[in-house]
Amino acid sequence: MVIIMKNIIDIQNVNLWYGDHQALYDVSMPVQKNKVTALIGPSGCGKSTLIRSINRMNDLIDGCRVEGRMMFHGEDIYGPGTDVIKVRKKIGMIFQKPNPFPMSVRDNITYGPKIHGITDKDELEGIVEKSLREAALWDEVKDRLDKSAMALSGGQQQRLCIARTLSVSPEVILMDEPTSALDPIATSKIEDLITELVKEYTVVIVTHNMQQAARISDYTGFMYIGEMVEFDKTEKIFQSPSKEMTDRYISGRFG
Amino acid sequence: MEAESIRTESRFHSDTVTKYLLMGIAAVAVSIVFFIILFILGNSIGAMTDTGIRDLLTGSRWLPSKDLYGMLPIITGTLLVTAGAILFAVPIGVAAAIFISEVAPPRFRSVLKSISEVFAGIPSVIYGFFGLTVLVPLLRDTFPNHLLMGNSWLAGSILLGIMALPTIISVSEDALGAVPRSYREASMAMGATKWETTIKVVTPAAISGISAAVILGMGRAIGETMAVMMVCGNSAIIPDPIFDVFSRIRPITATIALEMPYVVVGSTHYSALFFLALILMIMVLAISIASKSIVNRTRKKFGEAENRPSLVDLMIAKLPIRLVNGSKSAFAVAGLFLISYLIAIAFLNPFWAAVIGISVTVAVIASSLLWLNSLKKKGISVRPRSPSEFIDCIPIKTKDIFRRILTYLLMIAFVYMGTSLFYDGTVAVMAGLAVAAVYAALMLTFRGIDSRIIQKIAHTVLLVVMAFAIFLLVYILADIFIEGLPLISWDFLTGYPKDAGRAGGIYPAIVGTLKLIVGSMAIALPLGIVTGIFLAEYAKDTPFTRTVRNSIDILNGTPSIVFGLFGMSAFVVYFGFGYSLIAGCITLGLMVLPVIIRTTEEALKAVPKELREGSMAMGATKWETTVKVVLPAAIGSVITGVILSIGRVAGETAPIMFTAVIVYQRAISHSILDPVMALPYQLFYLATEGMGSSAMQSAVATVLLIIVLSMFVLASVVRHYFDKRIKW
Repeated sequence: MVIIMKNIIDIQNVNLWYGDHQALYDVSMPVQKNKVTALIGPSGCGKSTLIRSINRMNDLIDGCRVEGRMMFHGEDIYGPGTDVIKVRKKIGMIFQKPNPFPMSVRDNITYGPKIHGITDKDELEGIVEKSLREAALWDEVKDRLDKSAMALSGGQQQRLCIARTLSVSPEVILMDEPTSALDPIATSKIEDLITELVKEYTVVIVTHNMQQAARISDYTGFMYIGEMVEFDKTEKIFQSPSKEMTDRYISGRFG
Repeated sequence: MEAESIRTESRFHSDTVTKYLLMGIAAVAVSIVFFIILFILGNSIGAMTDTGIRDLLTGSRWLPSKDLYGMLPIITGTLLVTAGAILFAVPIGVAAAIFISEVAPPRFRSVLKSISEVFAGIPSVIYGFFGLTVLVPLLRDTFPNHLLMGNSWLAGSILLGIMALPTIISVSEDALGAVPRSYREASMAMGATKWETTIKVVTPAAISGISAAVILGMGRAIGETMAVMMVCGNSAIIPDPIFDVFSRIRPITATIALEMPYVVVGSTHYSALFFLALILMIMVLAISIASKSIVNRTRKKFGEAENRPSLVDLMIAKLPIRLVNGSKSAFAVAGLFLISYLIAIAFLNPFWAAVIGISVTVAVIASSLLWLNSLKKKGISVRPRSPSEFIDCIPIKTKDIFRRILTYLLMIAFVYMGTSLFYDGTVAVMAGLAVAAVYAALMLTFRGIDSRIIQKIAHTVLLVVMAFAIFLLVYILADIFIEGLPLISWDFLTGYPKDAGRAGGIYPAIVGTLKLIVGSMAIALPLGIVTGIFLAEYAKDTPFTRTVRNSIDILNGTPSIVFGLFGMSAFVVYFGFGYSLIAGCITLGLMVLPVIIRTTEEALKAVPKELREGSMAMGATKWETTVKVVLPAAIGSVITGVILSIGRVAGETAPIMFTAVIVYQRAISHSILDPVMALPYQLFYLATEGMGSSAMQSAVATVLLIIVLSMFVLASVVRHYFDKRIKW
């Protein structure tokens, strides 16, 4: 396994329980800055659990318990002095199903900045345009900023959610199967967007689609029943995996 | 760019502070229940020590003027009027529910459901007014030899039955709707008709939900005050014979409402009325526990998550299994006795009915023990530990025979009871046997007939029942509007009453009702919405949360007259507010609190969790997420619920009749410590004591109905508007 020098996130021996049920076993994984890291594996293998634990979304679930260290810039995300609000501001998340708020497009984008204390109108306007441009949505919605976000198409809604996350200038964007609810054209737009985004941001993506992982990611982790079976450069995983199980999964013989 | 630290700066977490604040407010609901129990129990101690609990419960003479407080006739009155109401409402309600859920085209389903909602929203004083002006004269003219006035148990039961209908319809309909479609498909796929599927698959699958509906309807009927008080005749006697539906009776609620205004505070009489309220609360509580456990069992059956065990469930679970089975057996024995007693009482006097009841019970127990013993001798070892396990042991054929015998016995008993009120015993027995014979003949004939014809007949019957229920509603509304609408004028709405309310206007009553609405909402809205937010967003499954939920359930089931009694003893007497706007507002506010809590909670829970995740993932706190994302998304449903509860507050009479209202006011007072006039009480007063005011009665009823119904219209407009704006 290649040891990467500048890890923005470093997951070390994480175990996670939902009540009595253990969902993650001793998982370790580095996330390198300005790269796309993909997580693949069959349903129920723990990849969503892992990605949700990075910005502590699992805190919302009753009875969820995490052990091990998860470092962000050398500070433990689960450390006693850590502010979960700041964690989530720095590490944003995109979900499986687009979840725009039932408000206008503009209010969707300004929601985050306002929460974090920005009140200046011009500054907010600037953030709206910048975020929407970065999410490759500006041209499509610039004339309907005050219309309801619920009227956008599924693909547009997902890009709006990406723009909404960008509005609070995170460093890492977690994506939990962001294209599983979208059609192929909308999917390819999101994939293009991800390759653009890594120039500025770091992306961790969970995907069900192995081709997607092969197309857009720099590093890939293969998980199976709560364990990290193999983690390596994407080409390595897809061309010459070192574990037999990975090979069988990649070539479609199980899963 | 230097990475910003993720370490916290502040020492405390703002969300934790919010959570504890919300918890504190949610605890108010618990303390209200505590104080209600405290005041009701505390005030009833006097009667318990002066008269003794035994004499209170078993004494058969209620004569406060002679210091006799035997509550047997009154408790019997409550049980009888409720039983009658259920007998009237269950066939109609369940048939209507089956019609709505299984027969009606989907387009009409929502229309029919909202009609039944309107039924539920009509104030009970309006039902009482309808009973007094239409039902009672109708009964008097139909049975001139048996009813001098028409006020009777029969009138009370029919009226209460009509009032319990919406509860029974909507809960049964929900239960039927919850039966998985795969059940229906499996039955239809084998060539069963829709009716066969309904009666043999869907209804049995929903039976526990339907029984919960019946029990909830019972709860509605048992706590009802105004309507029964207006039509039951109010004599504290036990009917003789016990099934004489033409007898006057006087239920618990009516007794409290009738006597409270004239009683000396602190006297034994005063305390006895609180003791009655205590009994009423215990009855209602038992009903709510029963319905909850039935609903839970249904959830388990369809593999849904069970409600987390309540305090009572946990207490039962802690009991040794022998005790639980023992009490189940005790219930079974009691039930056995009750059924045989009820059948026997149709023909015999209570003493001999009891003898029959006991001997049948003993015989059944003895024969089942002998039967078990004979099985053992044959080498078959069955050791049932509870009555239900015992029933499982009985061969299906035997069970079937017993079921049939019971059906015929009940049928004969009922027909006998009805007929014997008009004709002598022999004729009545003949009538019973004849009906049973006709029923048996019908069953035999139908066996060979094409199932599609049976379906047609059954669906037609259901349609007729549904049409009858709708006709009742339309009739009640039309009767009042036709009389009342022409009398409404500007002068009537803005004038002051004259001649003790028989003439003039009702301006002070309109203003009073509006003040009561605003005041009670000012109390209930903040408390209710905040508690709802706590339960939906912050509450985890802890003992504290469960206690809050249980308290809300108790508040929700508490009869309005008990709120009135609490309001009187706490605010009017203890805090010394006297009959005042403020006492009325607090009482009404507390009464409507559980409705607002539930509406808020349900509305918030309907918001998809993805929205919360989206907001939290950007670093919003829970409170920010709740206030800026979840609440705005749910606001339509919350407002709808609030408007509906305004309709309820506008029509309530029992909670204000001895806390806030007077019947005559020459000028509007602006002090919150002064009493007010209110529309529902004005209607009650005129209808019962205002001789020669029938025109005014209809006019007041019309104004009240318009206010309440316009709340319904407003609520559905709001719902429609928000439904269009937000789609998930």
